[in-house]
Amino acid sequence: MHAASGRYCRKPLPGKGMTENTKTPDNITVLGVGNILYKDDGVGIRVVQHLEAAYDVSDNVIIVDGGVLGINLLGVISTAGKLLVVDTVLNHGRPGDIHCLAHHQIPDRILAKNSLHQVDMIEALTLCKALDHVPETTIIGIEPRDLNTLDDRLTPEIADRFDDLVQRVVREIHTLGGTCRLKAQNSVPPRQDHSL
Amino acid sequence: MGKKIIIDPITRIEGHLRIEVEVENGRVKDAWSSGQMFRGIEMMLQGRDPRDAHHFVQRSCGVCTYIHALSSVRAVESACNITIPENARLIRNLLHGAQYQHDHIVHFYHLHALDWVDIVSALSADPVKTAKLSENTSGRPGTSEYFKEVKTKLSTFVNSGQLGPFNNAYWGHPAYHLPPEANLMASAHYLEAIKLQAKAARMHAIFGGKNPHPQSLVVGGVTSAGELTPDRIDEFTNIWQETRAFVEDVYIPDLLAVASFYKDWGAIGGNNTTYLCYGDFPGAGVDDDLLYPAGVLEGDLTPKAVDLAQITEDVTRAWYDPGEAKHPSVGETRPIKGEVDYNTDDKYSWMKAPRYRGKSAEVGPLARNLVAYTSGQKDVKNLVDDVLGKLGVGMEALFSTLGRTAARGIETVVVGAAMEGWVEDLKSNIASGDKKTYQPWTMPDKGEGYGLNDVPRGALGHWINIDGGKIKNYQYVVPSTWNLGPSDGKNQKGPVENSLIGTPIADPKQPLEVLRTVHSYDPCIACAVHVIDPHTNETYKVKVI
Repeated sequence: MHAASGRYCRKPLPGKGMTENTKTPDNITVLGVGNILYKDDGVGIRVVQHLEAAYDVSDNVIIVDGGVLGINLLGVISTAGKLLVVDTVLNHGRPGDIHCLAHHQIPDRILAKNSLHQVDMIEALTLCKALDHVPETTIIGIEPRDLNTLDDRLTPEIADRFDDLVQRVVREIHTLGGTCRLKAQNSVPPRQDHSL
Repeated sequence: MGKKIIIDPITRIEGHLRIEVEVENGRVKDAWSSGQMFRGIEMMLQGRDPRDAHHFVQRSCGVCTYIHALSSVRAVESACNITIPENARLIRNLLHGAQYQHDHIVHFYHLHALDWVDIVSALSADPVKTAKLSENTSGRPGTSEYFKEVKTKLSTFVNSGQLGPFNNAYWGHPAYHLPPEANLMASAHYLEAIKLQAKAARMHAIFGGKNPHPQSLVVGGVTSAGELTPDRIDEFTNIWQETRAFVEDVYIPDLLAVASFYKDWGAIGGNNTTYLCYGDFPGAGVDDDLLYPAGVLEGDLTPKAVDLAQITEDVTRAWYDPGEAKHPSVGETRPIKGEVDYNTDDKYSWMKAPRYRGKSAEVGPLARNLVAYTSGQKDVKNLVDDVLGKLGVGMEALFSTLGRTAARGIETVVVGAAMEGWVEDLKSNIASGDKKTYQPWTMPDKGEGYGLNDVPRGALGHWINIDGGKIKNYQYVVPSTWNLGPSDGKNQKGPVENSLIGTPIADPKQPLEVLRTVHSYDPCIACAVHVIDPHTNETYKVKVI
């Protein structure tokens, strides 16, 4: 092993200014969040998993499975040019309703959501202000039926709307300036049953 | 599958950890730690393919994704007698090492610093004096213009009312001791650390296939063979170097600067007698020649070998059906039916109470470094002695909240330095034509095994029993359960509960001191703190992230 002692004494670091700006690449980050172990809470993850498996995206599109990492997603969020979050959204609708929230609508709507990872998302977005870069954010969400039962399958209502949700996300990726097309037929893996 | 467990209410927004303390004469007299969320992942795993277990367990915690997957594949490899190739060991070490660097930096700056650093006080700092302070203490001094800029940024934050993460702190609390300039310097580094953590997370993406949920781990090794190009390894090395420089030039000097104002915390927040460490970062194989050695301290400074048979989980005070304390290999997860009643005199937590030889045991950075120090691990010993010397405190100060926080910084340096060797070994293997990262294997009909790791938050063990090629039983005992678990059948408290007793509380309405100790354990969950004043019977309910 390599000796570590005495390595942390004062030592100027050449060429590393403290005020260097974090470069923001011009990309579209599609971020699925939620927990696949709790029914519909995993729908955002299922969507990004499906996009990765069945679609070819242009080079400016980054697809990220964010799980429930909350504030640890800061790295992903702060380097996003445009951020497209896929999640469940509680918006006083019926299960299966699909909502699209543009950036100026987000804070109040998110705060209304009874889910821990969303609170963290807000924190992460707030912290981005400290980095002088808040990505232009859109949230596409589906009204869930069940977020609390420990089970890795979507409820039937949400599973029925899954394809529509995917199509809505695909459309939004195009609107944001990316492309996202179904892979050639022979390379498409068998359609998943939304469980692992 | 098909089994559904409905536990209601699951108070997700309230937080998963609830700490209750009773304060008398300005000190904590008694404490209860309660896990408020049921985790029944183990039941979900029964009957599944062992090769899939890690996909599930890595979702069981929002923060600790990679390490659960690692323990899980190790458990299956142990049950199926698989020896992973050398390159797989190195890549796993590098991924795990990257996790340590990232997690500990985030913990110190973003989850713990504001327990010691008063952001509002930073607004009255003199940028010129702050620049001078940083020149004297930090490995990366800033100019007065830089600190002025940071001050302006902080004011904008504070004045906008959108405090975000700064919202829940107790600015102006009498227990904050740093002068305004030290507060400004630390606040500046808080912001720098945000940038750094964003970069450090990318290390995982290189060998992990993707981040945040690495997909490269498989039973039998790793599947990052395609990543073993010199370019990719250099990319990893560059981020690693930048991270390491930050740790050594900024994190450790900040830790020492802050600690020097809080030496009284070298006598608060200890109170544990057993320290348990499974050890980690194998130099060869799975559990040989570990960078952090395995061992247990039981009331003295002579480390003993860990005897896994001594581990049990007691459910007397947890919301499970009554039963004897059991070893995890035969453990059960049987939640009591119906509504659960939070009663600190009886059952009050979803966490079981893990015990080693019948005693509660602290796990995590402090345990790891104590075991390494007393085992004579040279890198650790030198660094610990150096830190104690610089602070002018004795070894007894390690057994405290301050010691726990310092231990975390020390191991960030030790692990960060060791990563260099793993990168070099990996490079030379590849140069010599050895690109093997996966050992093919076949699933046995029956098997039993465990995977032990020492992860950023402490000792993590997964136990698996395979029958008919499927998972018959799966149990895991996680660091937060060791540290934050409840009392047991003999009324012995858990480590966090012990540590809180005796803590001075200046103002029960603002239990900053409680947070310091709870956060020093790095609980990976939001935390709701309740403080009871027995004289007025007043309960202060404070939500803290």
